[in-house]
Amino acid sequence: MLKVDHASVFFAARDGRTVHALDRVSFEIPESGFVVALGASGCGKSTLLNAIAGFLPLSDGAIILDGRPVRGPGADRGVVFQKDALLPWKTVVDNVALGLKFAGVSKSERRARAHELLRLVGLDEFAKALPYELSGGMRQRVGIARALATEPDILLMDEPFGALDSLTRDQMQELLISIWYRTAKRIFFITHSIEEALFLGTQVLVMSPRPGRVVARFDLDFVRRFAATGDARSIKLSTEFASLREEIRAILHRAEDFRSAA
Amino acid sequence: MSDIVQTTAVSSAEERPQPRLVKMVRFGVGEKPTAAISIATALAVATLWWLVAELDLVPHLFLPRPGEVLTQVGVLYYDGYAGASLSEHIFASLFRIVLAASIAIAAGIPLGLLMGLNRWAKGILDTPIEFYWPLPPLSYLPLMIIWLGIGETSKITLLVLAMFAPICLSAQAGVRSLPIERVNAARSLGARPLELFTDIVLPSALPEILTGVRIAVGIGWGTLVAAELIASTRGIGFMIMSAAQFLATDVVFVGIGIIAICAFAFSAAIRFIEAVLVPWKGKL
Ligand SMILES: Nc1ncnc2c1ncn2[C@@H]1O[C@H](COP(=O)(O)OP(=O)(O)OP(=O)(O)O)[C@@H](O)[C@H]1O
Ligand SMILES: [Mg+2]
Repeated sequence: MLKVDHASVFFAARDGRTVHALDRVSFEIPESGFVVALGASGCGKSTLLNAIAGFLPLSDGAIILDGRPVRGPGADRGVVFQKDALLPWKTVVDNVALGLKFAGVSKSERRARAHELLRLVGLDEFAKALPYELSGGMRQRVGIARALATEPDILLMDEPFGALDSLTRDQMQELLISIWYRTAKRIFFITHSIEEALFLGTQVLVMSPRPGRVVARFDLDFVRRFAATGDARSIKLSTEFASLREEIRAILHRAEDFRSAA
Repeated sequence: MSDIVQTTAVSSAEERPQPRLVKMVRFGVGEKPTAAISIATALAVATLWWLVAELDLVPHLFLPRPGEVLTQVGVLYYDGYAGASLSEHIFASLFRIVLAASIAIAAGIPLGLLMGLNRWAKGILDTPIEFYWPLPPLSYLPLMIIWLGIGETSKITLLVLAMFAPICLSAQAGVRSLPIERVNAARSLGARPLELFTDIVLPSALPEILTGVRIAVGIGWGTLVAAELIASTRGIGFMIMSAAQFLATDVVFVGIGIIAICAFAFSAAIRFIEAVLVPWKGKL
């Protein structure tokens, strides 16, 4: 289990002021939980993810992974970045195989595994291309394949589908759900999109900015329903889905109004 | 309706011309070919030289004719100069610069990367490097000769010192420009410190390092010739210096030409290495 306990982060802004990016955020990702953080730009979602990944120490609070506090990055948590961080000198297939290389897997075996993952994200044809030869959305998919390659038990995903067209985005969501359902991975997922949050999350954390805090939580089962039936359309068109969408929209707007009034 | 459908079908069945291949327009010169322009410039300069010499605009002692210089190449090739053959002079210079460049690269890259990564390395090495690096190499050549003698050691040490600084500084700059996401990505994929160094830091810094090597080799040629002018009995620099004392301007011209060709070949080699090693430079 991953437990985030009263996590606070203060940054030093360059003009000497402090930015309160995260304010006592607490939540848990249970076994096979799919937690989605939702909120406006600048509310501290990436900050939270960076802390869980071990890239950023907390100012206060703790992050406990399977009983041990998180001290730094590790291969047990796979990260998909907001901005793809592929290595420009490696071909697509070698980028995907990078984690396996660090794990000491032999060259032919990791290539084979990487090709399999590229097929999964629909980029097998581009295996020999260099990253600059791909579109932004394609690079993002390579980033996802790379994070999956080492089979981490937790996936941390920072707006992974933000750069995709809506069709590919739907496909990638369904792909992610099938991976999650088959492998029972824990996933922490960041998005701007209310629909995406509702569709994917077993738990949705609604965040508000300055200071970044969790203002509402929802426990959902749309994603389990989809995994069982495979029918996305009827779920997204259900009245339950629509009313939750409006409820969250109202919360986000209230947070926004509250902030501009203050 | 059916008309339109048919028209499209027919036109697509027609033989298509080879499509025009395009590339992203880059800022600055980028990869646009400049060779033709450079060759034209060289020809223009040669013609100007020939004209000035033929029309006797400058006393012959100062500016030999192109033809005489070419003849002199043949003479030097068969007779040598000052007790050594032409190829011995060239080899002496090449040996010095290649050896010195290898030492400077072998030391400058790891030390520069280390200085970019480690506070202690940076703190300790910064002082001596920042102190000696702005000095013109010729100003401490006498010291080298006093300490290390007149032989090869002093000249090669001088060259190594002159070439080390730009390589070391560029390697440091390469580490500084390393995007943090790249490092984070590798660490969350399980990279250990050594792998982080070889798989992420070194390749990321490579474009900057290669630029540094190019600058260093340029500085190296300048320093080499100057060092040979002062303390040597072999080498192209020595040949130029000695010929100048006898007012053999054509030999001086041959010497300068040989240096130009060597320096150009080095520069071209590094550019080739750059094209092979960092084809992604500036594209992502
Ligand atoms: N390194 C930093 N130094 C100072 N302030 C920072 C730093 N990183 C983030 N911040 C501030 O912290 C706040 C939260 O940033 P964060 O990147 O977590 O937002 P986000 O929710 O991920 O937004 P987006 O959806 O646009 O990615 C912002 O106000 C930002 O200005
Ligand atoms: Mg963000």
